[in-house]
Amino acid sequence: MSSIFDATLLLLLVAIALVVARTKDLLAASIIFSAYSLVLCLLWTHRGAPDVAMTEAAVGAGITTVFFLVAISKTVRREK
Amino acid sequence: MKKALVTALLIIAAIPFLFAAAALPPHGDPNTPVQTGASAYYLEHGAEEAGAENIVTDVILNYRGLDTNGEVTVIFTGFAAAFAVLLPISLIRSRTEPVSELPASPVVRFAVRLLAPFTALFSIYVILYGHVSPGGGFQGGAILGGLFIVLSAALDPARIRRLIPRQAGPWLRAAAPIAFVSMGILGLILTGSYLGFPTSEAQSAVRTGMLIVIEIGIGVGGAVIFATLFSEMEAQ
Amino acid sequence: MFASVWTNLDYVVPVVLFFIGLYVIIAKNNLIKKFLGLNIMETAIFSFVIALGVLDGGTPPIMGPDAHPPYTSPLPQALILTGIVVAVSTTALALSLIIRIYQQRGTIEADELREME
Repeated sequence: MSSIFDATLLLLLVAIALVVARTKDLLAASIIFSAYSLVLCLLWTHRGAPDVAMTEAAVGAGITTVFFLVAISKTVRREK
Repeated sequence: MKKALVTALLIIAAIPFLFAAAALPPHGDPNTPVQTGASAYYLEHGAEEAGAENIVTDVILNYRGLDTNGEVTVIFTGFAAAFAVLLPISLIRSRTEPVSELPASPVVRFAVRLLAPFTALFSIYVILYGHVSPGGGFQGGAILGGLFIVLSAALDPARIRRLIPRQAGPWLRAAAPIAFVSMGILGLILTGSYLGFPTSEAQSAVRTGMLIVIEIGIGVGGAVIFATLFSEMEAQ
Repeated sequence: MFASVWTNLDYVVPVVLFFIGLYVIIAKNNLIKKFLGLNIMETAIFSFVIALGVLDGGTPPIMGPDAHPPYTSPLPQALILTGIVVAVSTTALALSLIIRIYQQRGTIEADELREME
């Protein structure tokens, strides 16, 4: 039985994923993807999985976002 | 036209999955096989039998240790392949032209310099306390690697690259598989099976010591791999 | 039927996210955008597997002095820790390859790369 808080976080995840799919500016898409990682981390902390939440916050919102930003700075900024 | 067709096909493909997801046993039910199978055994006997109070660390390093051994090898191989792809251009470029960058603003430099020692201390705490609180090798290694990346982006990249000594670089990057295999051979000597942890009550210090060595190996290896990959990608 | 969708929202939303990620991989042209879609698919799978082990009123599976019985199951969490780190490793390798493709060919749009063959 999911409470209102968890349901809000889950629907926010779907909304963020749709925004990432539609944005044409790749820099904005990467930053919004790190917000997606943060909402996942909050969801898992609330559900009682702190180890996985810490790994997702450190690795997903930290390392993956940095690698995407470096790749965008070496290639294109907007998709055609 | 193509996008409308793809959307229609995916919606048709998603309908059986949505029915299946709605028909699973209700979320939070304590009678599913996940709760009453192996997990019940791990929760009951993990703390005294496996040397760590964090049951998740127990499971990944003791009960399912071979999985983590394979995963650490996968990380090392993946980053080795990424270096092989990136290395030729960065070697040529560093010999011909100096890499010129915009320096970061003084506010950013001051803030990074102020926070760096606390972040390093926190990452070492997360690595070493992985067996009694949430944390462990991967998390601490990612935080330490992120610290190297932030320092290298805000301050002088060449100075940060010199923090990882040239000769010891490849050994530091391979620290995680080396720690795992050496603990596996130690387990072979002590119990007769690879990566077998001694289960008697008197050797609980040996168990916890083996866990801590593996965690430090994973932490250091992960941090150096992330930092080196960032400086290779940056030097393109 | 709708009552069980509300109860099992933790299972239905990852399925929806999985198909959104699959749409991004198939229908978008830019290689970096395709990899964002692949990451969305991977995190949807992680979310689903962790939701399988969650109990009502479950506490984290850490035996401290103030831990009380209904624990969330540690087994899916251990599997997903491995999965998260393998995902970042494959993303790093993929982005390195994309940088090299851009240096060799000058473009990272899939249909232009296909025309060049």
